[in-house]
Amino acid sequence: MTMGPVHYFERDKFQVPQDYIRPDEVDEHLQRYENAIRHALKELEQIRDLLLDHLDEDHAKIIDAQLMALNDSEVKKEVTGIVKKELKNVSWAYFDVMTKYETVLEKTLHSYLQERYIDLKDVKKRILHHLSAKGDYTLPQFKEPAIYVSTRITPSELIHINQQNVLGVITQIGGYDSHAGILARSFQIPYLSNIADIRQFIGHENVILDVDGESAIIDASEEEIRGYREKARIFAGSRRRSMKSLGESKTKDGIPIQILLNTSFVSEVTAIDPSEQQGIGLYRTEFLCIEKNCIPDEDEQFVAYTRVVRMMNNLPVTFRTFDFGRDKLVEMLDLDMFHKDDFFQDFGGIRFCLENPELLRTQLKALLRASAYGPIQIMFPMVFSLEEVLKSKEILRQVAEKLDEEDIVYDHHIPIGIMIETEEVLGDLENVANEVDFFSVGTNDLSLFLLGTSRETSFARNDYHPLLYGAIEKAVRTARQREIGISVCGEMASDPLALLGLLAVGIRVVSINPSAYQKVFEMIQKIDLNAVEPLAEEIREAESAFQVYQVLKKFHTENLRDGG
Amino acid sequence: MLQIPVKILNKHGLHTRPATVFVTKASQYKAEIFVHYNGIRINAKSILGLLILAVEPGAEIVIEADGEDEQQAIQELRALAENKFNLE
Repeated sequence: MTMGPVHYFERDKFQVPQDYIRPDEVDEHLQRYENAIRHALKELEQIRDLLLDHLDEDHAKIIDAQLMALNDSEVKKEVTGIVKKELKNVSWAYFDVMTKYETVLEKTLHSYLQERYIDLKDVKKRILHHLSAKGDYTLPQFKEPAIYVSTRITPSELIHINQQNVLGVITQIGGYDSHAGILARSFQIPYLSNIADIRQFIGHENVILDVDGESAIIDASEEEIRGYREKARIFAGSRRRSMKSLGESKTKDGIPIQILLNTSFVSEVTAIDPSEQQGIGLYRTEFLCIEKNCIPDEDEQFVAYTRVVRMMNNLPVTFRTFDFGRDKLVEMLDLDMFHKDDFFQDFGGIRFCLENPELLRTQLKALLRASAYGPIQIMFPMVFSLEEVLKSKEILRQVAEKLDEEDIVYDHHIPIGIMIETEEVLGDLENVANEVDFFSVGTNDLSLFLLGTSRETSFARNDYHPLLYGAIEKAVRTARQREIGISVCGEMASDPLALLGLLAVGIRVVSINPSAYQKVFEMIQKIDLNAVEPLAEEIREAESAFQVYQVLKKFHTENLRDGG
Repeated sequence: MLQIPVKILNKHGLHTRPATVFVTKASQYKAEIFVHYNGIRINAKSILGLLILAVEPGAEIVIEADGEDEQQAIQELRALAENKFNLE
């Protein structure tokens, strides 16, 4: 929760300085222009290589058109002419010329629906970025701590404003589970998305952003401001309290519930005090790629993974292998045009890695090497079939063999598991269970598949759906029969009400966001598992998410409200 | 300097895909290459310029080549256009 003035960021209106230059500065400006083009070309060529290596030639060819537009001779001629004759600074000249082409081509480029178009905005942005100092024209610049408001936000922009004391973020599109959402939570920046009309925030000084309540208040009244200040004070106080004594997480009737953490960055892990935690239940390795805008080589990965393992000081760390899908690969490459590409739809998770086995091989090798420094587990994401599990294990076996040949030390007994996120794998669960050491239910994606909603809507309501609980219950049953571990690592586990349901259907291990640790820990201590278990029957018989919500809410109100 | 009229046979006219093929080829010649359409004369080595022309399917353009290898350029570019830029 946060309060402050709004910083409205117009994504495509770059703040290009409109000043004139002296005749003796012309050459310098033209040189900067050449350098900017060269840099931008290099960037795009790297992206092109990435696409060629990891996807296919068709996608790589899209970049060819971008490269051509970047290097367009007519644009160069016009920009050079303006700088020389009108003495406008090169960024201004470039901006004007490109805007002109953009406007004229607007209709043409969009009229052929089946054809890929040239993303002129990306071309313009790239060059302007290189023409400016540290991205002043293209990245948001905060004059004071404020709430960032815009249509959307990219991971690199979020990283940028995090260094500028951003108070909170409000976007039109994005979603709780988007990269921006995950990043914001790890930076502990309040983030609200799916707000249709963001322009209404412009110019407002006292906006209260309440993430839990999923709302933003413009022009808060005196009373609301007081209410906010009070809540903030209580929150700060309670944080200080619970940070001290955490200890073992057990229910009131003494059943241990393991609470692990979901993390994405090495820097997040440094903020964890191992003496107060139980382990990392999900380490999202693809964020390494997002941070660096590329796929790091084996040694870079080894260094990152080993740091995490060492910092956790003998507590177990479960690494999830690269989970790339449309949104993730798209954000990694940071190219607008890919947002519209359906190609990436089914292409995520372990499938992507199996189609690009070198990727998986390299990652597994780095992980195995890191296993010499502490206990780890490895899990494969977005699994659809037994075949994928077998293929992945085979690759793992080959990597292990190679390490043996090279006499490299690693843990020979690393537990291997899979994420249960698809309907398909639920259908073949017994067979899959025979091949793995544990399951982890990824409720975010599982609910998408089971209930057919889009990634960018709020998850909260879907977490209560009886179908979802039914699937989890089935997974628990299968895991118990085959005597393998099972946990839930989706956002659902951070929600106290949904968590009640999880405990009722038999989950005893959850992995949650570090920011939710305190409230989950406190809630578990108040729960009488004996009383919760009968809820499973009611959940089974419910016909809608709302009904389940009511059941859980009722239990919570009657048993866990105050003290207890 | 040579000029030759050529019909654009691609289904959607000279849109992004064929235009990039055209520009790639035209850029290989030493000669300056231009395209005339609707009274506008545009540098054919510029993708954005060509796209602005928005040449419709079935429309006729004039390819102009001026320089050392103009003969070869004209012939090869004409053949490319007649072959729908090897796309369809």
